[in-house]
Amino acid sequence: MRLKVWGARGSVPAPGPEMNRYGGNTSCVQLNFGNGEELILDAGTGIRTLGLDLVSSPRVNILLTHLHLDHIQGLMFFPPCFRADAEITVWGPASPEASLEDRIARYISAPLSPVEVRELPCSVSFRETPPIEWQLGSVTIRCEAINHRGPTLGFRITDGETTVCYIPDHEPALGTVLDEVEPEWISGHELALDADILIHDCQYTDEEYPAHVGWGHSAMSDTLAFASRVRARRLLLFHHDPLHADRFLDGLHAAARRRWGELGGDPTAVEMGIEGAELEVPPAHAGVTAPA
Amino acid sequence: MPAQRPLELILARNLLTSISTPAFLVDETGSLVFYNEAAGALLGRPFEDVGRMTPEQWTATYGPFGEDGRPFGLDELTTTEAIRKGRAAHAVFRIRSSRGAEHVIESSAFPIVASEEGSSGAMIFFWPLENNGSGADG
Repeated sequence: MRLKVWGARGSVPAPGPEMNRYGGNTSCVQLNFGNGEELILDAGTGIRTLGLDLVSSPRVNILLTHLHLDHIQGLMFFPPCFRADAEITVWGPASPEASLEDRIARYISAPLSPVEVRELPCSVSFRETPPIEWQLGSVTIRCEAINHRGPTLGFRITDGETTVCYIPDHEPALGTVLDEVEPEWISGHELALDADILIHDCQYTDEEYPAHVGWGHSAMSDTLAFASRVRARRLLLFHHDPLHADRFLDGLHAAARRRWGELGGDPTAVEMGIEGAELEVPPAHAGVTAPA
Repeated sequence: MPAQRPLELILARNLLTSISTPAFLVDETGSLVFYNEAAGALLGRPFEDVGRMTPEQWTATYGPFGEDGRPFGLDELTTTEAIRKGRAAHAVFRIRSSRGAEHVIESSAFPIVASEEGSSGAMIFFWPLENNGSGADG
């Protein structure tokens, strides 16, 4: 399985020369599987450039974790939306309030948008995710509600022996101590257990977090504690705060690697979500050590 | 490893951990899956010492009991009503701590409903009304 990050920023796009290395586009990750199939995780502004890269894939599946703007803002600028030969399926969380299509149409409609969903030339369908796992081609997808603000999902995607877990917005430590609580009481635990790579929220430093408790995002130490509890083999720190410029994120990365090493893991297993980065995700037992 | 709890139960437990009102958390079967420190003080034992209990186990251990000392049937419990009907239920009854002290309790049970499939459990809050003189727990 190959993974490409098209946007790793959280909350709001953060362009600027001081953001060049990690990138300013919001959440979007592309997964390519061995048989040529692919999946897109979230439709933040990174999906626009992803769409420019898609020249021969008119059938697209997009999994939305939730409908906060930084996860859907790019949808209206996704080039396949304006191709008549494109078939786009958008999957996202159910809500008792309105259908997925109606909730997304609040954004893709006047006065926020010059076009309406019904005007898009592509064939687009909106599907609320099933409460159990389902298949898309050869890939098995499972989702679970996780702790964030509003209906929010995490995804576990398995292709053969390789598993990716994507939980970009998550505050599992809210009201609990991750090192002490039993695993069944940790939001997202089963979803992320033994993943070959865990892509997880790491919006705040430990020093910043106290001013943001309950906002739905994680401090670095909580991200590492969660990754340790679920025995993640690799960890991709994601959803960077828009205030965090490249040099700041370099420091956060170094601190996270030190902490992971202190927990007994291989420091090189902690990586940063970097816009444009491509990673090969080998299956389990690839020799990377998770903390005991 | 026990199955992952639904998110709404996890959040309910985190809430109960953070408050000083005595409270129970039961799952969709009525099994006791958590009670907080304030409830532990009332019952004489922290949850960590007793762990998960089936409805039969926790009612046999703690009650509730009526004025005549008769234990309530499972169908009479506020928790059962909350889970089965998806509505809040309210009652006054007696409970017995692990040290034998009896307390008159005012209790409200609130169902936790996250989908159309029904309740994932209930939160039960307790307000001690009086102590019957048999001794308070520490």
